[in-house]
Formats: sequence, C-alpha cells, structure tokens
Amino acid sequence: MIKLESAHIEEVRGIRKLDINFGKGTFAISGPNGSGKSGVIDAIEFGLTGQIGRLTGRGTKGLSVAEHGPHVDKTKFPDAAFVELKVFIPSLGKSAKITRKVSAPRKPKIVPADADIKAVLDETADHPEITLSRREILRFILVEPAKRSEEIQTILKLEEIGQTRGALNTAQSRLQTAHKIAAGQVQASRDTLQRHLRIATFQAAELLAAVNERRVALGLTPIEKLTAVTKLDAGLSETGKAPEFNKASVLRDLKALTEALGLLPNAGKEEVASILSSMARLESDPALLDALQRRALIEKGLDLIDGPDCPLCDRPWDDEEHLRDHLNAKLAKSEEAGKLQGELLKSGSDLARYVVRLLALLGPPLKVASGEGDAACANLITAWTTNLEELKAQLISMDGLMGLKDRLASGWSATPKALPAALKALAGKIEAKPDQSATVEAQTFLTTAQLRLNDYREAMRKNEAAKIASASAQEAYDAYCRAMEDELNALYEAVQEDFSEFYKAINEDDEVRFTAKLTPSEGKLDFNVNFYERGLFPPGAYHSEGHQDGMGVCLYLALMKRLFADRFTIALLDDVVMSVDSAHRYQFCKLLKSQFPNTQFVITTHDRLWAEQMKSAGLVTAKTSLAFHSWTVDTGPLVESNTEIWDEIAGSLAKGKVDTAAASLRHHLEYASRHMADQLGARPAFRADGNYELGELLPSVLSRMKDLYGKAAESAQSWSNAAAKEIAGTRKTTLSSSSGAMNVEQWAVNKAVHYNEWANFGKRDFEPVVSAFRELLDCFRCNDCQSWLYVTPKGIPESLRCPCSGTNMNLKVKPKG
Amino acid sequence: MATLQQTIAKKFLDNLSGSDAVNASRIEQLRKLLADGKKVKPEDLVKIFTAAEDGDVK
Repeated sequence: MIKLESAHIEEVRGIRKLDINFGKGTFAISGPNGSGKSGVIDAIEFGLTGQIGRLTGRGTKGLSVAEHGPHVDKTKFPDAAFVELKVFIPSLGKSAKITRKVSAPRKPKIVPADADIKAVLDETADHPEITLSRREILRFILVEPAKRSEEIQTILKLEEIGQTRGALNTAQSRLQTAHKIAAGQVQASRDTLQRHLRIATFQAAELLAAVNERRVALGLTPIEKLTAVTKLDAGLSETGKAPEFNKASVLRDLKALTEALGLLPNAGKEEVASILSSMARLESDPALLDALQRRALIEKGLDLIDGPDCPLCDRPWDDEEHLRDHLNAKLAKSEEAGKLQGELLKSGSDLARYVVRLLALLGPPLKVASGEGDAACANLITAWTTNLEELKAQLISMDGLMGLKDRLASGWSATPKALPAALKALAGKIEAKPDQSATVEAQTFLTTAQLRLNDYREAMRKNEAAKIASASAQEAYDAYCRAMEDELNALYEAVQEDFSEFYKAINEDDEVRFTAKLTPSEGKLDFNVNFYERGLFPPGAYHSEGHQDGMGVCLYLALMKRLFADRFTIALLDDVVMSVDSAHRYQFCKLLKSQFPNTQFVITTHDRLWAEQMKSAGLVTAKTSLAFHSWTVDTGPLVESNTEIWDEIAGSLAKGKVDTAAASLRHHLEYASRHMADQLGARPAFRADGNYELGELLPSVLSRMKDLYGKAAESAQSWSNAAAKEIAGTRKTTLSSSSGAMNVEQWAVNKAVHYNEWANFGKRDFEPVVSAFRELLDCFRCNDCQSWLYVTPKGIPESLRCPCSGTNMNLKVKPKG
Repeated sequence: MATLQQTIAKKFLDNLSGSDAVNASRIEQLRKLLADGKKVKPEDLVKIFTAAEDGDVK
C-alpha cells in the first residue's frame, strides 16, 4: 500500500485544475456541500484504482467512468481528464508517480516502472475499499444480514475464496458422478462375466470351479488361486485357441439383452418421473425456468470471466471484480432454481447408471452380429449404442437434461423397433449352428471368460481410480471449507474485538461496556451490538444515527486493520463522520492517531467545526488542511486560503463577472475572518452552533487586532524599544485608516453582510470595495512571508507573530520596579 | 503479511497434508495451482484429482 505525497488533478469530475500537497500525512478537506470535496476523493480513487466508486455499483445504472469521469465540459475530450499522483511506498521506501487518464483507466503510466513498485500499485488498485463514503458505511450497519455478509465479503475479497470453494465443489460433484458411473460399469461387467460363467454368486471359488471344469476337460492344469494376474485361459495357446464364440454363452447374452428390452419400459421409472416432475415445475413457473436458464448461463459466464468485459454480452465493466459481483448477485437470487438444479442432476446421474448397464448388455451381441455378418442387426446395435452414449452424457449435465424432455416422456431408452426381431433372428441363426464339441465349448468358454474378466478388471481399476479421485476431491473440498470457516471465524472474532474497542474509545463517556457480536452463518453475517447493557440488538434498533455512523467507521477500520495489518497505509474517508456529535469527535481523532499512526487518512467534511476540531485535536495542521469555499462549473472548487484570490477576483471583474468576483470576495472574507478570529483570539458573541456570520466575526477581529497592536506599542514603550513601538504604531494606524477606508464604503460593507446585492454592482462600483478589503486584510499579514499573524500562547498572549519571525511583536509589558 | 486468501490456502494445504485421502503429489499440484494467482477452474481440479499417481503401472 501507499501514502500520498501530492496530487495534480485536471478536468476530472467537478475539478478543472487542482494541486494538493498531502505530504504523506493525514489531510483534511473541508467545504460546504457541493464545493468539490468528493470530487477530490473521486479523483484520488481514480488515480489509484482506475475506478470511481460512486459511478459504479448499486443505483448507478447508466453511469460510467468513461462518460461521467471527465469534467462535464470535457466529456468529449476524455484525454484531457487525468490525475497525476506522487505516492510513497513505505514497504519499499520508494516514491513513484502514477498518471492515469480517464480515456485509459486501466493503463496508468508509472514512473519509475520498477516491478516492485508496479506490484504495490497493482495491489492498491485491487482494493477500492480504501475509499469509504457515507453512502457506503451504512451498508455495513443497517443492511439485512445477507447483504452485510455480501458487503463485507466484498471488502475481504471473499469472492476469490468463494470462487476457489465453488470450483472445488463443482470438481467433487463431477467426480462423484463419474464415480457413480464407473461403479455402474463395474456392476455391468460383473453381470456380463457372471452370466457367461453361469455361477450363482460372484465368488472366486465358484468362478474357479466353472473355469477348472473346462480346463480339466482340455487337459490343462487347474487354477488353484485367483489373483490379479491370473489368466483363465493360460496354456490354451499351446493346444490352439478356438477362434469361435461360445455358443451357449452367446445365446445367454442374447437372451439377457432380449429380457432387458422387455423390462426397459419400467427401468429408471422413478428417476424419469422425478426429472419430468422438476421440468413440469419449471414449465408452470416461468420465473423459475428463467432463473434456472440464467443460472446455467451465469455459471458459464462466471467460468469464462477473464478481464472486465462480460463474456456473455461483451459489455465492458470498470473491472473484473464488479462484473463478478454482478453475476454472483444474480446467482444468489436463484437459490430455489439452484436446489432444483441439484435434484435434476442427481436423478439424471442415477438414470445414467441404467444406460451404462444397457450399454454393457449390447456389447457381446454386437460382436456376434458383426462376426456372423448380420449387418442389419450390427448396424441397429451400433446406432443405438452411439445414441445411448450421447444420452449418458446428456443425463449428467444441465444443458443436456433440459433437451431431453420429449425423449424421457416417450421412453428414455428409445429402443430401435426392429431390434427385438433382429435379435431373435440372430439367436435363431446361432441356435441353428451345430452344437460345439466339448473341446471347442471348453476353449471358447475359457477365452470368453478371460476377455470378460479383463473387462471386469478394467472396470474395477477405473472405478477404483474414480473412487480415489472422488474421495480426494471430497476431502479437498471439506478441507477448504474447514480452512475457510476457521479463518473467517477467527477474522470475525478479531474484527468484533477491534470494533468494540474502537467504538468504546470514541464513546468512552457513555458506552464503556459496549460489546458487539458478529455471527457468521451460511451466506449471512448477523451483527448485534450492546445497548447500554440491556442486551444485544441490531445497530439500527436503538442507537442514534450518529452512533450508527460511528459504528460504520469503526467496523470499517476494524476490517481494514485485520485485512491489511501494517499495509493499511491509506484510507479516503469521504464525509463519513458527519453525524458524530462534537463531543465524540476528539475521541475519534484520538482513535485515528493512536490506533493507526501509520495510516494516512484523507478526510473530507462539510462541517467547518469538524475541520477545526481535527486541527485542535492535532490530527491535521493548517498545512495539512484545505478548505473550499464554493464551486462553480467554470472554476471547479474555490480554495479559501488561496493566495491568488485577488488575481482571481480581478480576473472575474475583467470579464465583467461581478457576481463571481463578489462570491469569491465574500467567501474569502468569511474564511479570513474565521481564521483570524481563531489565530488572534477574537471574541465575537458566543454561538453554541459555531456558525458565525461574517458580520459578527469581522468587527470582532478588527477590534481584537487594534487592541493587540495597541498592546504591542505599549509593551515596546515599557521596554524602551522605539523601533518596535514605531512598527506597532504604524500598523495600528494603517489598520485604522484601512478600516476607515472600509467605512468610507459603508454602504458596501453593509451590503457585505448581504453580499448577494453586490452582484448588482457594476464593475466600477465594486473595484473600490475589493481594494478596501484587500488593504484591510494586508494589515493582518506579515509583510515578509505574507502569512496571517497569530498570537501565542493562545490563552494570555505574549507575542503577536508570523511563522517566519519577520513579524514578532512582544505583548508583555516590562514589570515595574 | 499474507492475504486472507493466502492464509486460507495455506491452512487448506496443511489440513490436506494430514489426510490419507489426498496424496503428496496431488497436494503439491494443488499448491502450485493456488500459488499461480489465477482463477481456479473446476477442470484444473478434476485433472489433478484424476491424474495417475506417480509410479502407477496400470
């Protein structure tokens, strides 16, 4: 992760051109609503991630970074919209510059393009959650558990974990089906062998008895023990293997197939009924069908995602994560369809086992038909075998199953009508052959037995492999779920502890015994908080909005701490604590300073008081604060402490825009009066809400400065410092005369209180007003460094000075005697 | 510091190494697949679980 050193923003969102020096530290941006604060956050977020959170996600349909990222006047020139960030990477001790254009959000220019720098910037780009807006914080707190789980999962990037878990689940499900089919093949090959051997039970002793009877008849050594390598026809080659089939066995095979054909109408009836019933449900509920079809499509889409373009519709997304979230949300909506899908696939694979058995029955007759030159019969069996193989594949996939309705309704086996007669004819042909001699019968018995034993062994081997694969996949899936559950439980526990600590730290005065409980369950994350020791309740039940806001930030901070640990170096907090009451804000600042000393927070607020409190609490300084007084579509945010304010006003007047000049002057006076009142310790009539008007502040500031210059002159006199006395006296005189000049413009000053009337002035009317105020404000600055003067210490001031010490007036009178 | 994903993957592989159902060669292939950083696909996993074990002559 990174820290921001500086930002240069051009034509992005509401900003025309703006430079900010963050200096790697926590930074505050204040200003009224609509003054461009969030635009700065958007721009930084864009610079770091290529995304703008508020242009994506819920409720942002029709918005995009490409179209709405540039300033409204530059939508046709997205190349002009860019952000250049200078960042520092603490883990590498390196600085880098990243420049990102709205026209190419995924192709930032990084200098230097070192691999380690790029890796850190890629990681940062992968974490848009470094930005937290008020709109987002309540997503953690007030939403229902399933949604909260989704939101937190997004922050924790659980979708990646979910993807791995899903892949393991799919793999184990596929391998389970494969194992089922392999087991069916074992059964079928065993039936085939057993039928040939004519043994009642499938026992080695019975098998050997049947085989040895023929071996003895042929003068071969009996086999004593059946092992994995035993050859039933061993030694036969020496006496010459008969090429012919075993007549009796073939007839049994044909009979078995013929009997099986007779039973087919009832075979798999239950499975077929279950599949057809599920299909009927789908037909009667088009929404369910739609959900199921979409589900299949979305699952395919999720599998195919490889970048930010949707593989289903080609729509470009800001990034892959948003696309994946979108598709996963759609999947979640079709839980019922998912259950139905599971039922369908289970019945399908059960029915596939019947198909496997049938295929095993078709094998031997096909061989005989081919050997006997019965092309008609052989073709019928070959075509049906191919057809059944296709059916088997269709039965174990959703796509396949959905196309089988008619076939299943009319009889899944689709037995060729001519087959029974063809089999009968073939059997007749075999029966008509002369009986085999005892020798030939014994020889063909043994060769056929060996062939079928080979098939059985092969089926067993495949089944064993399928069993191992299925068991491995099942174990892997279970192990992953266990690991995921353990880690997430530990994480949630840690988060809940941190969250409670943070929240208690903010509300130390009234909720010292606060506790919270995060309870994960499948797809949900319940969140309850203690309400004054009366029990655990959802956050929205009893806590005030301000407390809920605080909870949102605390939960966010707890998650980020656990997610990134020492890599949590930056967070952009966009107006997220506006409802926290003033009594708890100092604690909030303290929390950020004490718990996150290495994290740079960029905090925006529309609340002036908040901005001041951040300074008082030492979270930021005047240097690490920026205040906007207003915003216009032409200028972008207007900075309060802008040293070029007079040029700006002159520029506006030159263009005849008195209203713009008037607004700028008014805002500058408001900012300057407020700032000076604070710096000089002026005493306007107290207002509990802190919303002082210009008309209240300016007179008290003037009066305070006159008083301070008077004190400085008096002090200089007491110390017999003529030079200092003269400086203080001159300043006081200048201030009085400027103040007088302002009074000359009394009609304008009065209007300054209701400045909108300035807008009706002509340029010539307004220019003297500007000059008068400029001259007046100069009396509050150091002539050398141009900084505002301030008193120190604040309680009982001993000097009036500036940061460069070019102005430093002693206010303490020499003690007498 | 390891990400949550990496921590889960490590624990998963540790869990597996104590199990008789998955052999060392498959665990190693899973480790490589997860370390690859790419999206894990069911086909890749099926391939790993169905691969013949080292030394098998069947």
